[in-house]
Amino acid sequence: MTHDEMPLRISAPPARRKLIRFQETGLLGVIFALGLALTVFGGSLQIRQPGTGTVETVNKFLRADNLGMLANNASFFAIMAVGEAFVIITGGIDLSVGAIYCLSAVCGAMFLSYFGPGGAESGASPAWVVPAAILLCMGVGTLCGLLNGAGVVLFGIHPFVITLGTLAIYRGVAFVMTKAQAYTNFPSLFTDGLIRYQIVWNGHALYPVPLVIMICVTIFAGWYLKHTVTGRHVFAIGGNEQAALFSGLPVKRVKLKVYAFSGLTAGIAAIIMLGYYGSASSDAGTGYELGVIAAAVVGGASLVGGRGTAWGALLGALMIQMISNGIIILNIDQNYSQIIIGSVIILAVLWDRINTTLRERRMARSAQSARDSRQEISS
Amino acid sequence: MPGSCHALVGENGAGKSTLGKILAGLCRPDEGHFEIDGVPRRFRSPLEAQRAGVGIVHQELSFCPNLTVAENICLSHLPNRVGRMNWPEVYRQARACLDEIGADCDVQEELGRLNTGQTQMVQIAAALATGARLLVMDEPTSSLSAAESRRLEELIGQLLQRGTTIIYVSHRMDEIFRLCDSVTVMRDGQHVATKSIAKTDETELIQLMIGRAWTKFFPKHLDRPIGAEQLRVESFSSPGKFSEVGFALHSGEVLGVAGLVGAGRSEMALGIFGLDANRTGRIFVKGSEVSIGSPREAMALGIGLVSEDRKSQGLVLGMSCGDNVTLCSLEHLSRCGIIRLPQERAVVADFFSKLRIKAASPQVPARVLSGGNQQKLVLAKWLARQCRILILDEPTRGVDVGAKAEIHQLIEELAADGYAILMISSELPEVLNLSNRVMVMRNGRVMQILNRVETTEERVMQLMAGRTGAGNTNRPTSVANN
Repeated sequence: MTHDEMPLRISAPPARRKLIRFQETGLLGVIFALGLALTVFGGSLQIRQPGTGTVETVNKFLRADNLGMLANNASFFAIMAVGEAFVIITGGIDLSVGAIYCLSAVCGAMFLSYFGPGGAESGASPAWVVPAAILLCMGVGTLCGLLNGAGVVLFGIHPFVITLGTLAIYRGVAFVMTKAQAYTNFPSLFTDGLIRYQIVWNGHALYPVPLVIMICVTIFAGWYLKHTVTGRHVFAIGGNEQAALFSGLPVKRVKLKVYAFSGLTAGIAAIIMLGYYGSASSDAGTGYELGVIAAAVVGGASLVGGRGTAWGALLGALMIQMISNGIIILNIDQNYSQIIIGSVIILAVLWDRINTTLRERRMARSAQSARDSRQEISS
Repeated sequence: MPGSCHALVGENGAGKSTLGKILAGLCRPDEGHFEIDGVPRRFRSPLEAQRAGVGIVHQELSFCPNLTVAENICLSHLPNRVGRMNWPEVYRQARACLDEIGADCDVQEELGRLNTGQTQMVQIAAALATGARLLVMDEPTSSLSAAESRRLEELIGQLLQRGTTIIYVSHRMDEIFRLCDSVTVMRDGQHVATKSIAKTDETELIQLMIGRAWTKFFPKHLDRPIGAEQLRVESFSSPGKFSEVGFALHSGEVLGVAGLVGAGRSEMALGIFGLDANRTGRIFVKGSEVSIGSPREAMALGIGLVSEDRKSQGLVLGMSCGDNVTLCSLEHLSRCGIIRLPQERAVVADFFSKLRIKAASPQVPARVLSGGNQQKLVLAKWLARQCRILILDEPTRGVDVGAKAEIHQLIEELAADGYAILMISSELPEVLNLSNRVMVMRNGRVMQILNRVETTEERVMQLMAGRTGAGNTNRPTSVANN
């Protein structure tokens, strides 16, 4: 038989892993190029060193506080974009992330300020208040996500509609709960002690915690997608839901999980926001859903489903954040920023699609040639 | 010839519908041309065909069910003034078209609300509305009741008298003999014979349709005695799809299922696989009664379905071949939900060599594989899940000749290995060669289960098509008629 003569090329480097690496090196390349351009064209800035009082010239873009700010601003979006990527890979969409983010933040904020320094129960030990607040935010986020998932699974209504509805509902709940009032005055163990934990480097204050959380979430999500059964099912359902059903996959359970995960990431982002800004109100995160979806899509997630990565979502968020940062640094009129970001989203996706088409054509050709060569041998 | 009716007959997949589509400009021929009124033509679009006076009435009703009857009839030439719909004119034209063929239905009704018979009339009206002088009818009666079929036949008679030429594609012998003047037999995409209807008979036509050179070979699994009963189905019914289906399937046995398109074979397979909520009846696996409510439950009982349409139901085309193979067996290849990748790779490599799947590597997307290799992937998926009862629905559809032989060999090996296989196929040689027994279905009912020794192509074909032929999906002809 033919297989005796043609050993299988199992040992060849797995094309899928190579493919992912390729996909993301492209995005990484764009980010580096963007960084380089901003460094070169951004110009320099005179700042007075806070410690010594000496004036020194620094690059506007490539300096610790700008980069730190960039990373922290990107972290909210990146974390939610990773969760959104899961939903998008299954072929769904979650429009309610901004509202879930807001609702979890508001719940956490009310809890923290109730037990905080100025609250009714100011005597409570922050040692349990802070972990409880964190769990509360994550719990609220997950619950909201589960409700989305339940709506999608039980009613069979398109996720766009379900999450468009819950977007309004969750934000409305946040409004009602807070009576449109902002909550502040959290235990300092939570803000300065945890999320705004500061390290001083060269006289600059840096806040590494949001960054670390962002990277941890991404690593976990990337591992989950690649190494777990559910992760594989996520891709299968997005790639062909009918085939997944015909193959006996637990389609509904997996869908519930991805929406819950998307909610969870919104809860985690809310924790960071609470600690970083030290306050929350019911208008937090308005319009974030579009930024989050854009980040996931720029990172290679296909709205048709079946494609996307966690790292891609992170890089997508980073890239969008860099562009808005660049607009400030290059002194471009702020009014143009939306036009620029919008165009970049379309271009990024277009570029990705062209790449995919070329890659598939190449693969089809190599499969064809493999077939031909085997046929020659067998005949 | 104006006013004549020419029948086009052949087995499933003989190329009748494709020929009709080429005539109507829906498909482009790879080569060659045809002549209309002595002029060689080659249509590039349905619109061109319409201009040349060719209309088609499709087998599967292909209209916009959400639009009104009137809109559907006038769809290709909606009367308008600078893009603004001229509604009175639309309704008037549609009314006129329907009157012409004597159909009565409300032109403002949504098409989706009409029954199949009325929809069929609307299709014909629409085809005539474009000024068709040559009408291709692709199995127009396959979804009609007996009364509706009779009305359609009357209408065809009227059209013929008015000088319309009709190409009539059908399986129903009695209709052909009543309506048509001449008949062309096709087989495997090729023209076999053209006869005047007066000079031929049913038996001859059936022989021409199936009469390919084939030898009955003797697969090795037939030597072995069949094993214990694996799957038994009793009084299995689903309204409008199949009724009172019953059979038993043993390990080491291939039970072939023959029947025309629409005989309820695939529907029955889906029913067994837990994908039909309306089905009633009893299913026994290994002698004990089970209830199967979803593919997941079927899978847990060791039943695997290689479905008719591998691209939409069998494979996740964008995923790698390897991932497709292990798609439903990941639970066995993981610990605490974490996939053991080395073990998975080993399983994939094992099945790639066992089933001789040809791909550049298991990591290429399933999309790039040829039809035969894709089919093997679907099979591998169920074998990897250790399913011992396999339902194969058209296992060699859209597969080239070499791969077909390989798949046949695989089926043979699996049966010899003790798998219980239910094989639905529209290819008679395939069914007759590989099966221990052949179950023939017509109109949702089991006509007969034949033993290998008593099957001949003629016998099966007669059971499939039915001698009396006046088929009616709502009131199936009973077994007693045969």
